[in-house]
Amino acid sequence: MDEIIARSNIYALLSRILLQELDEALLETLQNDPTVLEFFPHWSEWEVRKKHSNKEIIEGHLNPDFVNLSILHLVPYETFYTRSDQMIETGGANPVTDFYSAYDFLVDYEVARVVSSDHIGIELEFMHHLCEAQRKAMELNDDEAVKELKNVQHRFLNTHLLKWAPMYLINMKYEARTPLYYDAAETALEFILGDNETLSQAI
Amino acid sequence: MMYLESRRTFLKGTALTVAGAAIAKGVFSIDAAAESVKASKFTNTPDTLSFYPPLDQWDNFQELDGTDWKRGGIGRHGVRSEENPDGILVHDFMVIPTACSNCEASCGLTAWVDKKTLTVRKYMGNPLHPGSRGRNCAKGYAVQSQMYDPDRIPFPLKRAPGSKRGEGKWIRTTWDEAMTTIGKKMGDTLRVGDPLSRKLCMYHVGRPNENGFVPKVWESMGIDSYNSHTNICSANGRTPSIHFVNDDRTSPDWANAKLIFLNSSHAADAGHYFQQAAGMIADARKKGAKLVVMDPRLSNSAGIADLWLAPWPGTESAIYLYLASRILNDNLVNKAFVKRWFNWDTLMKDTDYLNYMVEKNYISKVPEGRDFESYLGMLKEMYAPYTLEFTEKETHIPAYKLEKLYEMFIWAGDAISTYIWRATAAGNRGGWMAGKSVLFLAGLRGAIGNVGGTGWYHWHDISVGGKGGSSTVGQGKSGKDVPSVKVWNELTWPPEWPLSTYEMSFLLPHLLTDTEWQKKWIARGLQVPTKLSVYAPRMYNPVWINPDGFRWIEVLKDESKMELTFNLSPVWSETNWYMDYVLPVGLAGERHDQHSEATMPARWTSFRQPVLRVALEKSGWKPKNPNRATLEAHIKAGLGEVWEENEFWFELLHSFIDPDGSLNIRTMWESKRHPGKPVTIAEWYDAAFGDNLPKLYETVMNDERYTKEEFPVYSYMRDHGAWLEEDKVYDVQERELKIEEGKVESYEHKYDAASMSVDGAGIISAVDEKGNSKKIGIQIDGKKLQGYTTPTRKLDVYTQWVAKEWKWPEYAMAIYPRNDKEKEEMVHILSHVNHYYMKEENSFALNTVFRLPYNIHTRSANSKHLMEISQNHDPIWISTKDAQRLGFKRGDAIRVKIVDTVSGLESGHFVAMAVPTEGVLPGTLACSHHGGRWKLSNHVTIPNGVTDGKVVPGVAPRDLSNKEFLKESPANVGKEGGQSIIDDYSGTTGINSFGVPVAEIQMDGKEGKLKYVEGIKGFKAERFPEYNRDSENVWWDGLSGSWQNAVAAAHPDPVSGMHCWHHKVLLEPAQAGDKIGDIYVNYENNFKVYQAWRDKLSRGLDSNSKLRRPKHIFRPWVKLDPSAYDVNIKG
Repeated sequence: MDEIIARSNIYALLSRILLQELDEALLETLQNDPTVLEFFPHWSEWEVRKKHSNKEIIEGHLNPDFVNLSILHLVPYETFYTRSDQMIETGGANPVTDFYSAYDFLVDYEVARVVSSDHIGIELEFMHHLCEAQRKAMELNDDEAVKELKNVQHRFLNTHLLKWAPMYLINMKYEARTPLYYDAAETALEFILGDNETLSQAI
Repeated sequence: MMYLESRRTFLKGTALTVAGAAIAKGVFSIDAAAESVKASKFTNTPDTLSFYPPLDQWDNFQELDGTDWKRGGIGRHGVRSEENPDGILVHDFMVIPTACSNCEASCGLTAWVDKKTLTVRKYMGNPLHPGSRGRNCAKGYAVQSQMYDPDRIPFPLKRAPGSKRGEGKWIRTTWDEAMTTIGKKMGDTLRVGDPLSRKLCMYHVGRPNENGFVPKVWESMGIDSYNSHTNICSANGRTPSIHFVNDDRTSPDWANAKLIFLNSSHAADAGHYFQQAAGMIADARKKGAKLVVMDPRLSNSAGIADLWLAPWPGTESAIYLYLASRILNDNLVNKAFVKRWFNWDTLMKDTDYLNYMVEKNYISKVPEGRDFESYLGMLKEMYAPYTLEFTEKETHIPAYKLEKLYEMFIWAGDAISTYIWRATAAGNRGGWMAGKSVLFLAGLRGAIGNVGGTGWYHWHDISVGGKGGSSTVGQGKSGKDVPSVKVWNELTWPPEWPLSTYEMSFLLPHLLTDTEWQKKWIARGLQVPTKLSVYAPRMYNPVWINPDGFRWIEVLKDESKMELTFNLSPVWSETNWYMDYVLPVGLAGERHDQHSEATMPARWTSFRQPVLRVALEKSGWKPKNPNRATLEAHIKAGLGEVWEENEFWFELLHSFIDPDGSLNIRTMWESKRHPGKPVTIAEWYDAAFGDNLPKLYETVMNDERYTKEEFPVYSYMRDHGAWLEEDKVYDVQERELKIEEGKVESYEHKYDAASMSVDGAGIISAVDEKGNSKKIGIQIDGKKLQGYTTPTRKLDVYTQWVAKEWKWPEYAMAIYPRNDKEKEEMVHILSHVNHYYMKEENSFALNTVFRLPYNIHTRSANSKHLMEISQNHDPIWISTKDAQRLGFKRGDAIRVKIVDTVSGLESGHFVAMAVPTEGVLPGTLACSHHGGRWKLSNHVTIPNGVTDGKVVPGVAPRDLSNKEFLKESPANVGKEGGQSIIDDYSGTTGINSFGVPVAEIQMDGKEGKLKYVEGIKGFKAERFPEYNRDSENVWWDGLSGSWQNAVAAAHPDPVSGMHCWHHKVLLEPAQAGDKIGDIYVNYENNFKVYQAWRDKLSRGLDSNSKLRRPKHIFRPWVKLDPSAYDVNIKG
């Protein structure tokens, strides 16, 4: 049970960091949560975060870096990496959307503020929801559902996230100008690769 | 390994102080939107990429609203439902087929009728249409904007009593009042009963876009006054086909050709039948075909061609004869074909003509032998002067390009498709000879009528729209009991042009006002009309599109020359402004027509329909008056009192022209099923299609969906909109005569088999139903074949009848003047804009006859999007070299002065914008004559005159699922007291507000001027506001060129009668006060120009003439009694 809670939490944390700019409440968690600080060693040691207010850190350091990494210079969308013409599929022909739809998930774009549902933050959050569903199934001792949910997670990782996210994350690591996003990229990369190993062994 | 180790680290994720669920943004929703998608049939990605649903879903097809895809589609918003009101809208469509009417090609359309509002949401193609295959050009999709044009004429208009024609004062009237007035006038005229009475009521059509219906209307009245626009369009394109093979025009097999040999931009980017042809040309090129475009202007087609040749206008024959000479010299003639199908034996037996050829220096001596090889030897000698050097000098095409053309021509073998329409033919005097030369050339390689070659119109066309006679009391099956017309109308078929192809329509105002001409022929025994009782154009706009527009205005205003006029027209036009009545009939989705065109080697037809009427009828609605069903339906759907021509004519002839039956017209249009009433649409077309298309009939009768229908064949066509009667129609001349049950059949006509005889030349004759002996075929190698329909049943490469009986011996063979002396002698086939006539430094040949692919003569100005994309696309193209020489820069206003090369007279000038370009041959200019629309007023207020709009068309919401709505129908439509209230109509209407600027004109009977005074502006559309939400977004001023047609004098070709559109012009800088668009015309001079062309060039009838015209060649529209051809001209 610990494992599924951990996986769910980490997918949630990474999806949130990679999806949108941080808000102060989340930054507060990142500043103080020992687990996060352990996951993000460079961030943990970064002197700047200790000298400025959260608002200053967000506006002066983190947001410029985030905009650079997810809007200006890098493109955190699957179809950009998987289509030969490097176009983001924003319409109905996105296979990721179909994957979500198959499980009755629909992206609320007003909340997500992305141009397409194959954004790395959305895909990671989708994994988080699958983990949550698995956790509930485990609580109800529904072994069949647990097995199926593991299969779905494995399939989603292998048909989508792993096909492209490592490339994006490696790029992000090299482009990052703040320790937070450097660590987030490094951690996310390690995590999804490792998680695939876990799932592969489990099924 | 590192990552496996690190996994242990990640287990610490359980220790996060805030649970993941609280950290995650929460971007997924599983709510009403997702449920709505699940509950619908729609998916994020389409199951198929087809534009069209299968036919069995056409009556009831649901589709997501297209504009909502901008919001991300159902992937973001779900499908609209009660639970999910913000979802994507779902439309309930009924898909009704019809056919486009914006050009002549009749591409298939489907109207997507929104059942919830009874409106057409969009027009798409018809995938069942064999020619257009579900595709359309910009004009096809524009039909919707035309349907919901805020300026469309909402009800019948009548010139206000007490006002003069052209004052612009109008009142609303009823269809009944108009038909009573028109019917009485026509009936009274016909009741006089003499031959002249059969010439005084004239119909005049631009694009007929139907096959045979209206001609049958006029035939049934015994009138020879069906007038078409052919001679301002295609007479020179048709004449060579008539001379060569006695068919109306070529019908190329583009899709299977190796060489697409275009005489212009036509077929690939504009004109006949470009949307369908372009698709087939693309198919051929995909298979490796080459495209050659000959055009002095770099058209879109030329730009993508494998070879672009820019010849001097009218010199194309020299190129063809050069190629012919090379083929003959290189021994590359397809001897099997030429020996079998050229009429070489006729020529070689004609010693008189061979002597004449020697006399004309075509050949040095009469050939000693008369066999086939001697014939080829003679041709070799005849065409030897057309050398590479000569051709380069005459045409201005570099020698290397001519060599390249020859290579391609030979490479293509017999798979050469060509078209001789507009361009060379329409622009130049003698343009028909270019056609004759290219057909001769194609024939030498055997590229006639075969797969990939050039076939013939009548092989591929279906004309049954006028053959619904079995549904009437009087006409008989297919109209066999309609009496033939016994008069000859000199206004349309004047004696100076006995071979014209066809009516000399552009001379109508000249002939009506040329009293000398009238007197001359009356004195010589002809009954020449000096006026018209009724002039009835259909959608046609002769004022603007014909040459010498001011003379048209003069005649239209003259109530002694045209006593009553009406235009069956859905839109405003320059001509309508001068009419007595403007009667709004429907556009492409608002009328019935059977329409077929020869766009491929197959016989297909489309069926044009009023789609809203069909949608209503298929939903269970029944009209109160079955004879006015289309009018009722259009009122019910909110289009206004818009009718259609078919029902109008049925009722006009039956009930208003001949109400008591004394003229023997009433029964012709009386329903057999409902005696005393006019025939209905379903009755007529069920008979027209069913009686005359056997394969269609058989198909319908074996289709259980239709066998129980009251009108099975009509219903089938209503549901499909198109039909392919015969595919892969090639080499029809090779078909053997069919002999069955004592009858022999040739080209669908039957003769008495026992009467068949074969003469020494192998020509087979037989006697027809009326006892007349006719040539029906030819015996070759012991087989009785149909052959061609020429007098020799072969290809008339030597047109003996033109030489012997019809006075043009020098042009009986393909020929082109070889030197200046011959240019003087052969003036009839030398272009009037040949460089021979360009003596001044600022003189140019102006190429006028290219089309803009998104415009179509008069029929575009009611479409906002067509107007928007065509703005300022009609400048003067001038070569950079010439522009530099004369000091013109891009955007300069220049005066283009038109000068006639026959009379030497000046016509006046128009002011146009210079655009220097490398895309035009030096010495020539290009400016399409499809520019320069104008109007005299921005708006017109139409008070209720003899009638008042008081009747509410209905109260139930316009919803085809609403039973109350389907029960309702307006009563007494078209009658006094039945005038409906028009939706959102305030009493004032704009006039072509999206495309036509306001001008002032001055005219005094001799000189005319036009100056634009106000461009168009955005406005808030009151009518059809849903469709005109962007009517305020107008950024263009509407000036799309100059009205150059008004400056142009009439140039009747002496042989074909074609108005030769090109001009010799002199360029001058604009003068103070000149603005682009200005014109000045000396139309008194223009009258003299017409007379000069007539008197100096034509070879008309004289006291030796016995016939008005050769009987064997096509004379379209009405069936003439043989006696009508007889003539006796006093000395």
